[in-house]
Amino acid sequence: MGEAGPATPSIEVGDLLSRADAGEPLLLLDVRNDEEFDTWRFEGRRPIETVHIPYFDFIEDPRGCVDRLPRHREIVVLCAQGGSSAMVVDTLREAGLAARNVAGGMVAYGEYLQPVRVPVDAAEAVSWEIWQVNRRGKGCLSYVVRSGREAIVVDPSRDVQWYEDFARRLGARIVRVLDTHVHADHLSGGPALASLSGAPYFVKAGEGFELRQSVEPLADGQDLRLGGEAGVTVQVRIMATPGHTPGSCSYLVGRRHLLTGDTLFVTSVGRPDLGGHVVEWGRALFRTLRERLAQLPEDTVVLPAHFAGPDEIGADAVVAAPLAALRRVVPELQIADEEVFVAAMRAALKSPPAAYAEIIRANLGLVAIEPDKATEWELGKNQCAARAMPAVS
Amino acid sequence: MKTRRLDVRGTKCPVPIVRAKKEVDGMQAGDVLEVLATDPGSMSDFQGWAKMSKLAVLKEQRTEKDETGREVYVHVLERRG
Repeated sequence: MGEAGPATPSIEVGDLLSRADAGEPLLLLDVRNDEEFDTWRFEGRRPIETVHIPYFDFIEDPRGCVDRLPRHREIVVLCAQGGSSAMVVDTLREAGLAARNVAGGMVAYGEYLQPVRVPVDAAEAVSWEIWQVNRRGKGCLSYVVRSGREAIVVDPSRDVQWYEDFARRLGARIVRVLDTHVHADHLSGGPALASLSGAPYFVKAGEGFELRQSVEPLADGQDLRLGGEAGVTVQVRIMATPGHTPGSCSYLVGRRHLLTGDTLFVTSVGRPDLGGHVVEWGRALFRTLRERLAQLPEDTVVLPAHFAGPDEIGADAVVAAPLAALRRVVPELQIADEEVFVAAMRAALKSPPAAYAEIIRANLGLVAIEPDKATEWELGKNQCAARAMPAVS
Repeated sequence: MKTRRLDVRGTKCPVPIVRAKKEVDGMQAGDVLEVLATDPGSMSDFQGWAKMSKLAVLKEQRTEKDETGREVYVHVLERRG
């Protein structure tokens, strides 16, 4: 059995996700090893029928493996990086089955960015728009806010050219790049995007952190004005919301759209344990949630930096929720006593993301990012919420 | 009894296992094959393949650094009798 030839038919991650989200009856054959299959799956917004047969089983016993698969359905084959699945596609096609390879495998899935427009009122839409950029494989959400010919990007992923191109498609140039906090689960594209677009970058690391990125400082309560043409502007307010990290900030766009970073998600809150100070950071998070966010109106729309599973993606494809609804359903927001809250955060302690220490150091600018290592560090889904989240749904 | 060495550093899956199987198929019972790989996923892949394989037994796995400082995953296989 050789390697895949150039004629191996393939499907791009974006096409496969669109088909899965639309509920097409797909048959996905995942050929990764047991460990990789158990820790991180390809997920659509609707369940995908999935068969798991490792590629080395095909090497050892191709005939036995082919016999386990239906002969009259197209099979979509997936592996870690696209090489082993291409080999399996060739094996299946030689045996007369219809099969296609997922180009780039789980690495491509983990890097794929899907822009979704956040619904706003007609009056708001006159002046500005918000795009939620969904990194489906990792559950990371970044944002592009545009008003007139100017755009702000919040929490960009590593593929910075994507944001530059996207802003251009919206007819805007990037005038500012913001991170809500020093991320621990993925590498920030913030500094690289800022230098690519010539825009200032902002992140607040907080006390005790050495930040070596070039940053234009912004103060709590400060308003940024975006747009600039007559009548076409939107205000972005900086709000210090410490807890998940001591420097965490949220950004209020217009009157009611709040980019919460990892402070508040649509089913949980951000874990305050990644710095080894769960009690101290837990207290800060409690005060942020009870005092700072409690002052915001009921119709505030929470737009978080992560989601835990595809069930958090709404019918309109956006991950968002009104603050009023979250006050009713998020268990951590029901806790009125600081000590009880801190005890709950301690009880929810779990192991940190695999390469989080290296990722934090890279995001602070203390070490350079090697492209090979970057892919390895970022494998798998985010684990930023305080509650234990299943690896697969 | 012979010991062979297979250098698949720098290749990605499925190459390490495709080539290891080819080697093992051509060996005599008791012969040993040392595979040098740089793909971290090869650790679990070799364990999984050895469980399936009729001919290869996985005797040892270890991690070393090569002369360029790269992590190298060494998989020691023995051909079954």
